[in-house]
Amino acid sequence: MHWTMRQPNGKQIELAGISKAYGEQVVLDGIDLAIADAEFLAVMGRSGSGKSTLLKIVGGLDTPDAGAVIHRGRSLNGMSERERTRFRRNSLGFVFQFFNLIPTLTVRENVCLPLDLNGMAADESKRRSSEVLAELEIDGCADRFPEELSGGEQQRAAIARALVHEPELVIADEPTGNLDLDTAGSVLEVLGMSCRQRGTTLIVATHSREIASAADRSLRILGARLEEAAP
Amino acid sequence: MSRLLSRAARRFYLRHPWQLALAIAGIALGVAVYVGVDLANDSARRAFELSTEIIRGQTTHRLLPVGGSLREEIYGELLRDGRVTRAAPIVEATVRIGGNTGPRRMLLGVDPIKEAGFRDYSGFVPGRGGDFTRLVTEPGTIMVPESLADELTLEVGSRIDLRIDGRLEPVEVVGAVRSVSASAQSEPPIVTDISTAQQLVDGAGALSRIDLSLSPEQAQSLGQDPPAGTILVAAAGETDALTEMTRAFRTNLTALGLLALVVGMFLIYSTMSFSIVQRRPVMGVLRAIGVDRRQLLGSVLSEAVMLGAVGSALGLVLGELLARGLVDMVLRTIGDLYFGNAVSAADPSNWIHVRGAALGLGATLFAALGPALDASRSAPDSALRRAALERTTRSRAKFAALLAAPLLVLAATLLLIAPRSLVTAFAALFFVLCAGALLTPSATLLLMKALERVAARGFGLPGLMAVRGVGASLSRTGVATAALAVAVATVIGVGVMISSFRLSLESWLDTTLTADIYLTLDQPRAGRPFGTDLPAALGALPEVGSVAPTRYFRVRTVYGELGVRAAEPGPEGWGVDMVGAGTVALDSADAILVTEPFSYRFDLGVGDAVSLPTASGDRAFTIAGVFRDYSTGNNALLLPLETYRRHWRDDSVTGIGVHLATGYETDEATRAIRATLGDSTGVQLRTTEAIEAITLAVFDRTFRITEVLRWLAGAIAFLGVLSAVLAIELERAREVAILRALGFSRDELAKQILTRTGLLGIAAGLCAVPLGVALAGLLVHVINRRSFGWSMDLSVTPAPVLLGVALAIAAAFLAGVWPAIRGSRMGLDGALRDE
Repeated sequence: MHWTMRQPNGKQIELAGISKAYGEQVVLDGIDLAIADAEFLAVMGRSGSGKSTLLKIVGGLDTPDAGAVIHRGRSLNGMSERERTRFRRNSLGFVFQFFNLIPTLTVRENVCLPLDLNGMAADESKRRSSEVLAELEIDGCADRFPEELSGGEQQRAAIARALVHEPELVIADEPTGNLDLDTAGSVLEVLGMSCRQRGTTLIVATHSREIASAADRSLRILGARLEEAAP
Repeated sequence: MSRLLSRAARRFYLRHPWQLALAIAGIALGVAVYVGVDLANDSARRAFELSTEIIRGQTTHRLLPVGGSLREEIYGELLRDGRVTRAAPIVEATVRIGGNTGPRRMLLGVDPIKEAGFRDYSGFVPGRGGDFTRLVTEPGTIMVPESLADELTLEVGSRIDLRIDGRLEPVEVVGAVRSVSASAQSEPPIVTDISTAQQLVDGAGALSRIDLSLSPEQAQSLGQDPPAGTILVAAAGETDALTEMTRAFRTNLTALGLLALVVGMFLIYSTMSFSIVQRRPVMGVLRAIGVDRRQLLGSVLSEAVMLGAVGSALGLVLGELLARGLVDMVLRTIGDLYFGNAVSAADPSNWIHVRGAALGLGATLFAALGPALDASRSAPDSALRRAALERTTRSRAKFAALLAAPLLVLAATLLLIAPRSLVTAFAALFFVLCAGALLTPSATLLLMKALERVAARGFGLPGLMAVRGVGASLSRTGVATAALAVAVATVIGVGVMISSFRLSLESWLDTTLTADIYLTLDQPRAGRPFGTDLPAALGALPEVGSVAPTRYFRVRTVYGELGVRAAEPGPEGWGVDMVGAGTVALDSADAILVTEPFSYRFDLGVGDAVSLPTASGDRAFTIAGVFRDYSTGNNALLLPLETYRRHWRDDSVTGIGVHLATGYETDEATRAIRATLGDSTGVQLRTTEAIEAITLAVFDRTFRITEVLRWLAGAIAFLGVLSAVLAIELERAREVAILRALGFSRDELAKQILTRTGLLGIAAGLCAVPLGVALAGLLVHVINRRSFGWSMDLSVTPAPVLLGVALAIAAAFLAGVWPAIRGSRMGLDGALRDE
């Protein structure tokens, strides 16, 4: 393995006064948060509490009504659409609850996609994808299409796609919500271990206390506010 | 663009081959109809031009009779007084070979010796043993075009019958003739010696015209002082006149072809937007992992280029095949309406293929641009959520409906700022169609809302689900319904236009044909007019109540060659349908009536003067009124017979309208008239019913091509809705599986799917009715008016409207059959499995 471990060097992402409402319903109300490099952060809360909204705002997929998301000293709000896209392409990896693999690409092609977008040569891209697929123990599925895989395998492929370009931050929105308990455990282990090996910051939205207990820090959204979760 | 992005897009279509096939078929059909019509049009235009040019040859001018026939002596006088050096006398007639049903052909009687240098077709075909000497020395001999000789396997010595003026005249073939000009593709006429031609048309001593090859000085001199009763015209003007006369007809066909392409564009838009909508979640993921907007836009537009290229290529091939079928229809129609002679198709311009391919590609790109921009602009988050998409679609449907109003204002403005332009008329028509398409999704929502209670009461929860299913997936159903509504509106609009026109024509015939029997000359140009005593002789018959003689002639004026009818009023008046509330006022000296197309084209109205060349020189006539006229061939003026006789010094007549005496039947009168005519040949005797039947048959034949194009537009619409419905129902596989799991039977499922698609058809059909009627209104009151100068009444009869609605429902219902079968047979496990 050739992963380079990032050393914690302070705040990677900072949220200042983030608020968001859907119509009359306020889901986030003045959220302040600092996330350090290589930190594993779990965000908990009931369904509809605003976990996913918070993650999307952190990932630049959604914009807050008020407040700012600052990545390494630069506000996402001040970025153009193209700069936000570059930010996601280079610095972020996403893992979704429903995997969201591209159905018309094989597992390897799905994993290669972020590298391809970054202009990496096909040979190098293939080599890198093989390494990640082997690490996640799905190298045997490389040439199969997503629909031919089990849920656990699909989520591992999604994790491989999120990690292959070595982003600084991985955002996982209920990554085990669609998996059985055993599979969820192994997927979580793989996700956590892979991020720790690389020193990648990981933010996970989850209902699971097990995940929360494995995280460096657990927060809960309650009444649109963020608070420390009880251990 | 990323190679993986293009690979993903390619595989999407390979995984949905029917969607790919329908998208390509839609583009191909749109291009095929446009190219087919254009090819047929161009081929016909070139064929007629070439045919005219072959007959024209080196002729620079023509000396034509004004009023009566051209005396043969004039030809000798012209050469003797030295004003012309090269002249060729011509007798021209229209004949058929054998029976009465074959195509009409031109018979050209020439003086072979004087012909040298005039026309290129006088060359003999090697090996055919043609003998020009026999043509001159032996009466009843002809030379036939090489293609006709091949078609009928004619050899030298073959004997055939020419049907001329209703008689069969036996002639002997003494050779084949062909055009030796490299550029000429169209076949020459049947050629015979002038004396044989005069004998055949029973016009001894009469010429149709004299062809002249004149220097500019000679032309000026002869033009200023032509022999009495003649007029000098430039030969090139005849081709121009034909081109001008047929322009509107061809423009209308091209417009119909373009209309099919517009319908095709809606289909392309529907297909592309659907394929994009289906992949929105995928596009959302791509945006989330860093694909930027430009890459996504590029990817979708590349797809469109690929689809457009394949579809256009296929469309060009189909267009060629379609053109072969259409060209005969176009040739026949132009022949019927304007030319009076059958010609063979000529090779069309190659540019049409280039234009067709460019239009196909352009239309595909244009149609794909909207969905592509939409896909690339949507926020990555919303692209992942279907609910967000449906919310956005519903609010966009409202916005689109609001957008319809300014589009309609724009259409009205275009019509007002350029009241005579055909281009702005078609642009307005396009905007009205677009406005209709924009209103359709909102109208569909309203209709489904209105149907909810009825469906719930009548069919319970399954009925309610079917109704709500249409509205709940507006992102999928909206465009498909709009595309179907536009296509069906086209079918309704063109249908209403044709039925309106037919009813107006029937009404016009009723007004115009006031007599019971009409006598006309078969060959008015070459033959002799009726004897001056014939009307009186017929009037004296006990079977005849009264007669109305007419004199038809053509004159060259500053407005081109015009057809003029001099007549006397019959018992029911002048037999004209006046425009507006005007009455016929032809009492004042030198007053004339003009046809509506003439009035419109030259912007002349009551009180304006029209100058006509009479026997005593040019004279101004005052327009006393404008009347409807749906005939073709530049028939422009009506004047009292007395006025004609006074100014043209000609007492002859070319037509007689016979009104029956009370108590007599048409058959009795016909027999009596035939007996009076004796062995006079070249006279056509037709009853009013026969003329009406022939006119309406020509009308129906003229609009057969329109019917073909109408149904092609319908076929494109069917493909569109089939594509959309298949995709919609495929997407619902999971929902169908859930319903099966909940206990829905296969029949109930199939019924639900068919109800849903049927509702889609009803929505499209109902939206298409007002849009179709608006389209018909534009075609009747604007397009036809600007094309032909005709005004007619818009008659919205139930037949075309019901046919359109039935087409929409049937198309949508039929499109649902396969998904219904598929859905009801679907296994549960696969469809219920996540991802």
